Amino acid sequence: MLEADVEVDRRDFTVRAALTVAPGERLALFGPSGAGKTTILEMIAGLVRPRRGLILLGGRVLTSTDRPVTVIPPWRRRVGLLRQDPGLFPHLSVRANLLYGRQGSDAEAASELTELARVLGIDELLRSMPARLSGGQAHRVALGRLLLSHCDALLLDEPYTGLDASLSRTLTDLVVSLVAERAVPSILVAHELAEAQAFADRLAVLDSGEVLQTGEPGAVVLSPATRRVAELVGYTSFVPLPASPGQPGAAVAAIHPDRVVAGRRPERGLVLDGMVTSCRPAGALWEVTVMTGAATVTGRFPEPVASRRELVFTAIDPPVFGSDGASVARQPVSADRDTRWVRWTGVG
Amino acid sequence: MAASPTVTVTPPAPEGGRPGGAAVPRGLRYANRSLAITGTAIIWVALLGPVIALLTHLSWHSIKTSLSSPGAFEPLILSVESGAVTLGVLVLLGTPLAWALARGTLPFPRVWEAGVLATLLLPPLVIGLLLVFMVGPFTPIGHLLSGLNLSATDTFLALVIAQVYESAPYYILGAQAAFSGVDPRLEQQAALLGDPPRRVFRRVTVPLAAPGLAMALAISWARAMGAFGAVVIIAYHPTALPLQIWTTLQETGLPSALPFALVLLVVALPLPLAAYIWSARARSRRRG
Repeated sequence: MLEADVEVDRRDFTVRAALTVAPGERLALFGPSGAGKTTILEMIAGLVRPRRGLILLGGRVLTSTDRPVTVIPPWRRRVGLLRQDPGLFPHLSVRANLLYGRQGSDAEAASELTELARVLGIDELLRSMPARLSGGQAHRVALGRLLLSHCDALLLDEPYTGLDASLSRTLTDLVVSLVAERAVPSILVAHELAEAQAFADRLAVLDSGEVLQTGEPGAVVLSPATRRVAELVGYTSFVPLPASPGQPGAAVAAIHPDRVVAGRRPERGLVLDGMVTSCRPAGALWEVTVMTGAATVTGRFPEPVASRRELVFTAIDPPVFGSDGASVARQPVSADRDTRWVRWTGVG
Repeated sequence: MAASPTVTVTPPAPEGGRPGGAAVPRGLRYANRSLAITGTAIIWVALLGPVIALLTHLSWHSIKTSLSSPGAFEPLILSVESGAVTLGVLVLLGTPLAWALARGTLPFPRVWEAGVLATLLLPPLVIGLLLVFMVGPFTPIGHLLSGLNLSATDTFLALVIAQVYESAPYYILGAQAAFSGVDPRLEQQAALLGDPPRRVFRRVTVPLAAPGLAMALAISWARAMGAFGAVVIIAYHPTALPLQIWTTLQETGLPSALPFALVLLVVALPLPLAAYIWSARARSRRRG
């Protein structure tokens, strides 16, 4: 069990986080660049000292700013940190790199090394020097080195960002299976949602040093707690809803470009229409910008749409936020499912 | 598919239009290239010229007569011994300073650096003069030394002191550069893998800085071997190799001094050359 309740001052804001990660659990800290995600990992690793905080790992106190004040140095924490740069020692062979953090009997280490190298697919490379490895191979060695050192917690600081998508996915899956096998708590930092979701079984959304929401990776995206969380997880358009008896004031519905379907489907969400202003390919989909009456909405559709035509589409079950930015209950569901969402008509 | 208003079409680049490089005529490019090679060759030959001159002006006969005189090798032995002691002092005292400078752990780092640079910028002759005022027999340090039955004028100790002053900045600045080249994140990684700072230094920092450290050590060895300016003032006796060349030149002339110059080169150069070859190989191994 890894528990961290820490506070540290950065230039523009204070990073505050209270996290608990169970053995074998995979937590992803997701947030924009500069949100303080890496700082949290560095505090747990002992590289940054919190202004106030308590960090416990498997019952051991790693950092405590309360009496008795405790700061265990990084080399006695048994916390593994994996960064984007694999950080292999260039003067040591792959084998020596793998065994670098290994303490204990040689025979046991050798058999564990052989087994792990086979799992990681690097058993042919043990005599090579790091400079000869490809990026993916170097990351496999870095992961193996951490696992052989028997660390009690695994911290991953966007290790696979910048690798090509399939390689990144393969490596992430490898980490996930090895973390599960060894039952160590692990935290991944990511600024790409898909990367965080591929790894985590719990997602914490972080912005300007504050944890805004924690939950299951899917649930956080479907029900963001605030408008800011919605923006961070990819909602790009915010459509004002007409005032209704239950909701005076300016409530907005958040539209995720990937959560739209063409056509009028009032039973599934908010029906919108408007004029198509642009349509461009985005991967295998077409990204369409539509001017509705009150807002410009972007959606991705499987079919291209002609510009300057009217388009009717439905945003599936969009979250709604009040004027204070907090999530509010969606429009009251009436007996007739069709009236669940008011239809917002733009200039057509 | 409908044309989108945001799509812009970039016109194709004109034929052969490489950015920046483009329209230099072939002839001019050759002229440029040959000019560069000629210039490089001239400076290379000019720099090596003295060595070539030395080798062409030596004869076996003069080498034999110069080196067979009684006590001819004493200055050589003295130089090697004092050079070794100098290197030991530099490694012991200079390495921590170089490391602290590289990692910026000292308060007012520029001041410390300026101190090291001062010894580099002062002419050795001036250093020698000033050393007399610092460690001479009538100074506090001189008194202290004589209390220990030591003296820093015209002794082995004086020779080492002069050599240290002449070679220290080369070692410290070279070692600083070598340590600066070590990625602190690798040291951090080693620490996270369980190594306390000393072991990180031994297992990661030093091996990674080794090529640069070897070069710095080799250069300061060559400097110490050739130290003359400060030595001639505070350590005229016992006679080290450079001084022997000087006195031989004064007393019996150029031809009999040349063999000692050869000896000096033979002693001073192998270590730097070996260090150069070794560090080049170590670097290329790491680059893969």
